[in-house]
Amino acid sequence: MIDPKNLLQRFGLGITESKVEDNRILFEINASELSSVVRTLKKNHALPLKTVTGSDERAMGRNFRIYYVFGIPKENVFLIPFISVSAENPSFPSLTPEDQEFSMYEREILTFFGLMPIGHPAPERITLHSENFPKDIHPLRKEFRWNTPIVEPKEKEWPTFKKYEGEGVYEIPVGPVHAGIIEPGHFRFSVLGEEILRLEPRLGYVHKGTEKLFEALPSERQVALAERISGDSSFHHALAYCQAIESLASTEIPKRSLYLRMIMAELERLANHYNDLAFIMLDTGLAFGGSQGTRLRERVLQWHERLTGSRFLRGVLAPGGLLKDVPKHELDALRIDLIDLENDFIEVMEAVSESLSLLNRLQNTGRLERSIGEDHGIVGIGARAIGLERDARIDFPYAAYDSVHFSVPTEADGDVYARYKVREREIHQSFKIIHQSIDRAISSNGPVSIPIGNLAPNAHAVGLVEGWRGDIVYFVLTDASGLIMRVKVRDPSFLNWQVFPYLVTSDMVPDFPLINKSLNLSYTGNDL
Amino acid sequence: MTTSILFLVFQVVAVPTFSPLMIGIIRKMKARLQGRVGADIFQPYRDLRKLFSKDEVISSDASWITRFAPYVIFSITLLLGATVPLVTAIAPMIPGRPDLLLTATGDFLVIAYLFALMTFFLALAGMDAGSGFGGFGSSREMMVAALAEAGLIFSLLPASFLAGTGHILDMIGQLENLPMTSAFPLFVAFLAFLIALLAENARFPVDNPATHLELTMIHEAMLLEYSGKRLALMEWAGANKLMIFIALAVNIFFPWGVAFEFSSLQSLAVPVLIFSVKSLGLLMLIALIESLMAKFRIFRVPDLLFTSFVLGMIAVVLTVSLTV
Repeated sequence: MIDPKNLLQRFGLGITESKVEDNRILFEINASELSSVVRTLKKNHALPLKTVTGSDERAMGRNFRIYYVFGIPKENVFLIPFISVSAENPSFPSLTPEDQEFSMYEREILTFFGLMPIGHPAPERITLHSENFPKDIHPLRKEFRWNTPIVEPKEKEWPTFKKYEGEGVYEIPVGPVHAGIIEPGHFRFSVLGEEILRLEPRLGYVHKGTEKLFEALPSERQVALAERISGDSSFHHALAYCQAIESLASTEIPKRSLYLRMIMAELERLANHYNDLAFIMLDTGLAFGGSQGTRLRERVLQWHERLTGSRFLRGVLAPGGLLKDVPKHELDALRIDLIDLENDFIEVMEAVSESLSLLNRLQNTGRLERSIGEDHGIVGIGARAIGLERDARIDFPYAAYDSVHFSVPTEADGDVYARYKVREREIHQSFKIIHQSIDRAISSNGPVSIPIGNLAPNAHAVGLVEGWRGDIVYFVLTDASGLIMRVKVRDPSFLNWQVFPYLVTSDMVPDFPLINKSLNLSYTGNDL
Repeated sequence: MTTSILFLVFQVVAVPTFSPLMIGIIRKMKARLQGRVGADIFQPYRDLRKLFSKDEVISSDASWITRFAPYVIFSITLLLGATVPLVTAIAPMIPGRPDLLLTATGDFLVIAYLFALMTFFLALAGMDAGSGFGGFGSSREMMVAALAEAGLIFSLLPASFLAGTGHILDMIGQLENLPMTSAFPLFVAFLAFLIALLAENARFPVDNPATHLELTMIHEAMLLEYSGKRLALMEWAGANKLMIFIALAVNIFFPWGVAFEFSSLQSLAVPVLIFSVKSLGLLMLIALIESLMAKFRIFRVPDLLFTSFVLGMIAVVLTVSLTV
């Protein structure tokens, strides 16, 4: 059991009142203390910020609350200071002027709760754009019903973009509808000839009311919703959700299901890394690499289907374990095929590694400064490609990742090639993890799920997994009767989109698709 | 009389008839090289039929250029196709008027500048509708075209020097009988020509004909505003252009098996076979390049085109030293 007082003292916080829920310590602070508490945790003690979110708790006799979720790496403990914001004075102090990383979170709270971050340099909505949505709706306030019809405003307000002026400078608008089968997003380039001077992305076109739906759907359908937030990360999103629910129910799930979950999670990572490597090569025009990579991905997807009945690993996870066991002979077959799959991959990468024309396109393209990445709280592949060893599987071990051996590959250069290499090296680590997990799954018998108990009332849980893009955070709150009243989803894309304009600045326009692919961020995961 | 009509018809329709097949073959080869099955080689014909039976949308901002350019461009490829030697090196003649040989467009400089005229209209059409992508395509195309032109002309100069004529038809007749010592400068010139061919026809490593990414396109970006029938004409003209370049390459640099007389269609069987084998070889080479290497960064393209020019220069110097 955690001693909250000692722990908080270790971080130099003289907090007297706090609430301990399993591995989470919640404590209320005044808006005026916010800046100093956050600075202490984030700057002085370098704790990673996992998410910031609001919640409408007026129905419970409270105010709006804004939670700042920090994690303590290696200890798997979360410190969650929160502030209260009243409906009469719907504003809170913005931390953005001193720390970039808060900017999007605060704008998100503004968008969905209508709480104004005072002092934010650009307090604009991130979705519900004013050309399509009326200005006065705040969907995550409890009085807003999920099926409220939206009336398009008569007077449309179109966005303005920053203008670069000068001889030979011109603007190109790209999207939100693209030529290929890509998600919608608008990109406004200011270019000088072929050189990109500035890129202003405008996302938010795939807002689906996801977080509101979590409040409306019965709990048995919420896993399916989590699986559909970002289709290529179905398993990891559902896993983060399930872990949060299991932690609310204080349920220890059977060992065997933990290992099976790891096998599936790593298979999802494999499939997506193969796909990304394929598309990075295809965008340079190296069609051989493109078709080989997609072929490898297909092999993994067929394993998904064979193990779970779904090519995208859907419908297999549930709070309490798994809905389906995998028989021993299938695991044995998987182990044998994995060896072939890895050799196949090595062969393909050897064939393309000698392509100087490929190297020339990847190296020095889309370079990210380490300091800019750090300032924006970059996660996942993007972080590991600038040498930041951030990986939830090591920092906040879940499932049974603390019982298997693997390493976190990092690269220093921060260019497209570094992200390509990180993926290539992670693929080998995933193979290592799957092999070990198969051994343990076979040796641990028993059921793959247990019924979960009632959820703790008035509780706050964090579900954290390392998806293939980066860490996925679910912050789940229950009301006084133990029903889920708020689910906050933080996809890695939400953070990584913020560094994206910096990647392409001073690169050339024709390299943009390649740089875009090297991060391969989710639009739907960002827009929710 | 009938044979000369037959020959004229053959010469005029051969390029537009077979050019989509070449595109189909190249796509099939690429697919096989990349481990895919690929569409069958007649797919480009179906695509053309589909486009011709579709309605088109023309931007309200577009001027007459957009409407007019496809006809100009397609006509130029028809004209060049009719006069460029395919399987014969005989000038097509208006029946009954032997004084009216269609030879004016047979000079290699005229050919090069007719291509330049095509590019000019294409680039104008790209900018005409005012879309950002079209402007990008046009500006890139002009950069590539300006640099590729030098390589194109200098790669044909050695053959012209060796043959002592600038006319393609006469050139081929002369080249076939040249001693083997002249093969080396011609080979160097062929390399220069090959690079110009790839650049002029929007192939790798200069452009990617298979991409859907607007921001990386050159040739395709200029066609983005086209649809329906005019798009079909543009696509068809592109195929014709590729076939004309291939015909030039195989007949000038590998001038064997070209017929110099035309008596009946049957007499063309062997030349057609030889032409097909040579063209297939060249198509295979292009397919290999497109499968095995990544596209160049756009600012490395000038280096490549400059290489083409330098190779052409070397070939010219070698030729001159041979002939003096």
